[in-house]
Amino acid sequence: MSMKKSKSASALKLGAIFLALYATGAIAAKDYLVTASRPNLVFVADAKERKVIKTHTIPNTSMGNSPITLVPSRDGKVAYVIHNRWESISGIDLDSGKEVFRAELSEGDIRGKAPFAMDLSPDGKELAVFVNPTRLLPGEYQVQDPYIAVYSTTGGVNAKPVRKLPTTRRVATLAYSTKGDTLYAYGWEMLKLDPQSGEVKGMHPWRSWQRDNRGEPDTLPIWPQWEQSKVFATPFYVASTDKPAGDPASLRAGIWTLDLEKDVVNYKEFENASVVLFSSVVNPVRRNEVYTVYTQLTRTDMESGKMDRVDLDHTYYNVNVSSDGEELYIGGTQGDIAVHDSRSLKKIGNIRTPNGADQVLTSLRVFTR
Amino acid sequence: MGINSRSHGKGRWLVPAMALIAPFIVSSAAAASAKAEALVSAKCGTCHAASEPGKWDRISDSRRTPEGWDMTVARMTYAHGVVLSGTERRDIVKYLADEHGLAPQETASYRYILDRSPSVIEHFEDEEIGQTCARCHSYGRIAVQRRTEGEWRKLVHFHVGQYPAIEIQAGGRDRNWFEIASGDVSQRLGKVYGLQSEAWKSWKETKHASPQGKWRLVGHRPGWGGYEGTATVSPGGDDTYRVDMRIKYANGKVENAKGSSILYAGHEWRAKLRQGDKDILQVFSLKEGGRELAGRWFEEGNDAIGGDFKAVRADGGTPVILSVQPAMARAGAKETLTINGVGLKGEVSLGPDVVVSKVVSRTLEQLVVEVEVARDAETGVRTVSLDGVSSDGALKVYRSIDLVKIVPAHPMARVGDGGGKLPKVPAQLEAVAYAAGADGKPGTDDDLRLGVVDAKWGLANLNEAAEKMRDLDFAGRIEPNGLFLPNEAGPNPKRVFSANNAGELLVTAAVQDGDRTVSAQAPLIVTVQRWNDPPIR
Repeated sequence: MSMKKSKSASALKLGAIFLALYATGAIAAKDYLVTASRPNLVFVADAKERKVIKTHTIPNTSMGNSPITLVPSRDGKVAYVIHNRWESISGIDLDSGKEVFRAELSEGDIRGKAPFAMDLSPDGKELAVFVNPTRLLPGEYQVQDPYIAVYSTTGGVNAKPVRKLPTTRRVATLAYSTKGDTLYAYGWEMLKLDPQSGEVKGMHPWRSWQRDNRGEPDTLPIWPQWEQSKVFATPFYVASTDKPAGDPASLRAGIWTLDLEKDVVNYKEFENASVVLFSSVVNPVRRNEVYTVYTQLTRTDMESGKMDRVDLDHTYYNVNVSSDGEELYIGGTQGDIAVHDSRSLKKIGNIRTPNGADQVLTSLRVFTR
Repeated sequence: MGINSRSHGKGRWLVPAMALIAPFIVSSAAAASAKAEALVSAKCGTCHAASEPGKWDRISDSRRTPEGWDMTVARMTYAHGVVLSGTERRDIVKYLADEHGLAPQETASYRYILDRSPSVIEHFEDEEIGQTCARCHSYGRIAVQRRTEGEWRKLVHFHVGQYPAIEIQAGGRDRNWFEIASGDVSQRLGKVYGLQSEAWKSWKETKHASPQGKWRLVGHRPGWGGYEGTATVSPGGDDTYRVDMRIKYANGKVENAKGSSILYAGHEWRAKLRQGDKDILQVFSLKEGGRELAGRWFEEGNDAIGGDFKAVRADGGTPVILSVQPAMARAGAKETLTINGVGLKGEVSLGPDVVVSKVVSRTLEQLVVEVEVARDAETGVRTVSLDGVSSDGALKVYRSIDLVKIVPAHPMARVGDGGGKLPKVPAQLEAVAYAAGADGKPGTDDDLRLGVVDAKWGLANLNEAAEKMRDLDFAGRIEPNGLFLPNEAGPNPKRVFSANNAGELLVTAAVQDGDRTVSAQAPLIVTVQRWNDPPIR
C-alpha cells in the first residue's frame, strides 16, 4: 500500500516536473537568438528556422543612437539592454514586448553612462551594470568615481540600485561566475569581486600579466557571449618585445579565456597578428574550439593552436554558438546575422534584421526555450 | 565629379560653422564691444557667473581662435540649449575672439589646422601632450588654445563626461588616461599652453592696422599653378570689409572674386567670396603691421581644393618682389619669366649667367622678360633685383632635375557621395623638382627645391593586401593635373567582403627633364568619410 502510494506520488511528482518542463519548453528546447538593431529594436529569431519571430521596440529612447549591451534572462523571458545614449537600461519582455524593467542612470545633476559592462546574476535576480557618472555643474563637468550598480530585476520600470559597488575605472566586461558567488570585473585586471560587498577577493592578472618577451596585452572586451559554454573568451594582441618593429612576429594574436565555472584562465597565442579579431565564443561541446570574427571567421584550437580561417561576406562584430555546438551565429555592425557550420566554417544560412537595420555594437545572445 | 556638391545634414559643424566664421552676410550690426559684452552676459552669464564686468567663469580662463570659440559656442547651443540667432552667434564669437584670442605668433606654427591644409603630418611640440591628446584629434587643435592649468583640467573632465568611450577605445585604454590627462598632462598643458603670455599682452596693447586699401597678390593653387592679381579691401563697418579680387593663373585662367571679410583679434582674417564659379573661404592672417595678408583659401565644402595666398600693400610706396613665374630656369634654356610685385622700376638683374634678352612688357606691378641662361650656368639660387628692391632665391637655375618629390608626401582622399551624406574628398597632388646641391647627391639636405613641374601620373596597388583586394580597380582615378578623385562611398557588392571603395594605392609622378625621366612615388590612402568634421579637426 505504502509502496503503491509512494509510487503514485513519485509518478505524480514526475508528471508535475514534466509539465513544468514542458511549460517552459525544455523538452522541445530550441535555440533562439536575441539581439538589437538601430534605432530601438530588440528582436528574437528562431535559430534553426533562420527567422525573426518577435520584434519589439524599446520605448522612450534616443533615436539617433543605437542599443548596446544586451543580456537575456536565462529562461529567455526578458532581455535587458543598455540604450538611450548609454543612460538607460530596459528589460523587455520577449513574449509581450512590454517594458518590465527600466533604470535611469542619470538623475539630477548627475549624468550616468553605462559603457558596455553588464551582466545578470545566474538566478536572474540581480543585474549588475558598470556606470560612469559625471556631475554636470552650470559651468563645468566633474568626473565622478565609477561604480557598479546592482539592481533587483523585480525593480520595475523605476528601478533604483539596491547596492552600489566600488570599482576601478575602465571596466569593459562584467560577468557572474556560474554559481553567482563572484562578479568578474574586467578592466586593468580581471578582478574577482564579492557581488554583495564589492570586495576584491582576488584577480587574474591582465595588465600585470608577466611573460618573457611580451608587452602588455590589448583587448576590447565588450562582447558578452559566454552563455553557452560558460567560458568568457576574448581575442588579444600583444607585442613580442624581442622582435624588431616591422617584423611580422613583433605583434602576436591570441585568445584569452576564463572559465566562469572553474575560475581557470587559459590562453593561446596562435599567430602573428594578420587580421582584425573582434570577439570570440567558445564551443560548448567541442570545448577546445574558439571562434573569432571580424571580416574573417577564425577557429582556434586552444590546445594545439591550430587555426582555420574563412572570409566572411562582410565585416561582423559578434559571434555566438548553438547549444549543440554545430552552428555559429555571426552578427553585429550590419543588417544580417550569418549562420556558419562550426565544422566546415561554411556559410549555411542568413537572417535579416527586421528592417534591415544595423546592429552596430549590441550583443548577440542565445537562449533556449 | 560630385566633389563640389554641398551636402545636407552632415552634422553640427562642417560648412555652416565655417560659413558663420566667414561673414557671408555682412551685418551692419556686427556689434560694438559693449553691446557684445552685454550679449555674452545675457546668453552665457546664466551658467558662467561673472566675477566682474567682462570676466566670466571659465570663459575668461581661456583664449582661442575664431574657429575655437565658434566650436564652443556651437556646442553650448546643441548640448546645453542656448538659443542664438546666426547674428548673435557671430557677434559672441567676434567678441570672444577679440577679447580672448591669440597673438599672430601664437598660431604661426599651426596655421594648417585653421586653414584646413590637406594631408599634413603633424609634429608634436610636446610629446607628452601629443600622446595624451593627439591620438584622437590633431595636435594643432590643442596648440591654438591657451588655458589656465585648472581650465585644461576641466577640459579633461569634459572629455570623459562627454565621451566615456575614451577610456576603453584604442589609443586611450593602454593607460590610465583620465588620471594621466587630469594630472600631469593638465599641469603640462598649463605650462606649455598657459593662459598668460607676453605675446598676447603686447598684441592687445598694439593698435591694430586696418586691411583697407589696395593689395597686390600672388599665390599657388595646386593643380592649376601659380597666380597673381590685385585686391581691393573697403570698409563694411565694425571690422568687416568688402573684398574685390581679380586673379590670373599662369595657365591663363582668370577669376574674379567678390565677397566680404571679418577681422578677428586684429589679425585673423576670415572671408567668404564668390571666386569664379565657386564659393571660397579665406583663412588669412594680417601681418607685418598690416602690410601683408597671407594664408590659405579653399572651396567651401571641399577644402582639399584651394591655394596659398600672399598679398602686400599696392599703395604702400615700398617696392616688393612677390614672385617670379616660373621660378626655375634650366641652364642653356631660353625662358619667359614674369616678375610680380609692387613698384618694379629700373633695370632687372637676375644674377649670374641669366641674361635678359628682351623686355616683353612692364608695369610697376609686373615685368615680363625673355632670358637666356648660360649653358654652363651653375646650379643655384639667384637674386632678382630692381631699383630699391631685391629678392634672394626668387629664381633657381639648374642643370638637371635630380630628384622629384610628390606633395603632399602622405596624401589622403576620402570616399563620398554614393547616396551618403558626405561628399568625396579628393587629393590634389603635385610633383616638385629638386636639383642636387653642392654635394652632387640628390636626397640630401642641400638639395635645391626648384618648383612644381608637370608630371605624368600613375597609380598602382600599394602592397600585397591592396593587390589582393584589387584596390586599384575600386579606389579612384587620377587626372592629368594630379587631382585624385576617389570613388563612391558605401559597401560595394562587387568587392570582396562587400568592402567600401577605400584602398591603399601607390602614386607615381614621372617628370620629363630633357630626355631623362625622373620619377617619384608616394603612398596614397583612400579612406572612409570623416563623419565628425569640426572647424578645427
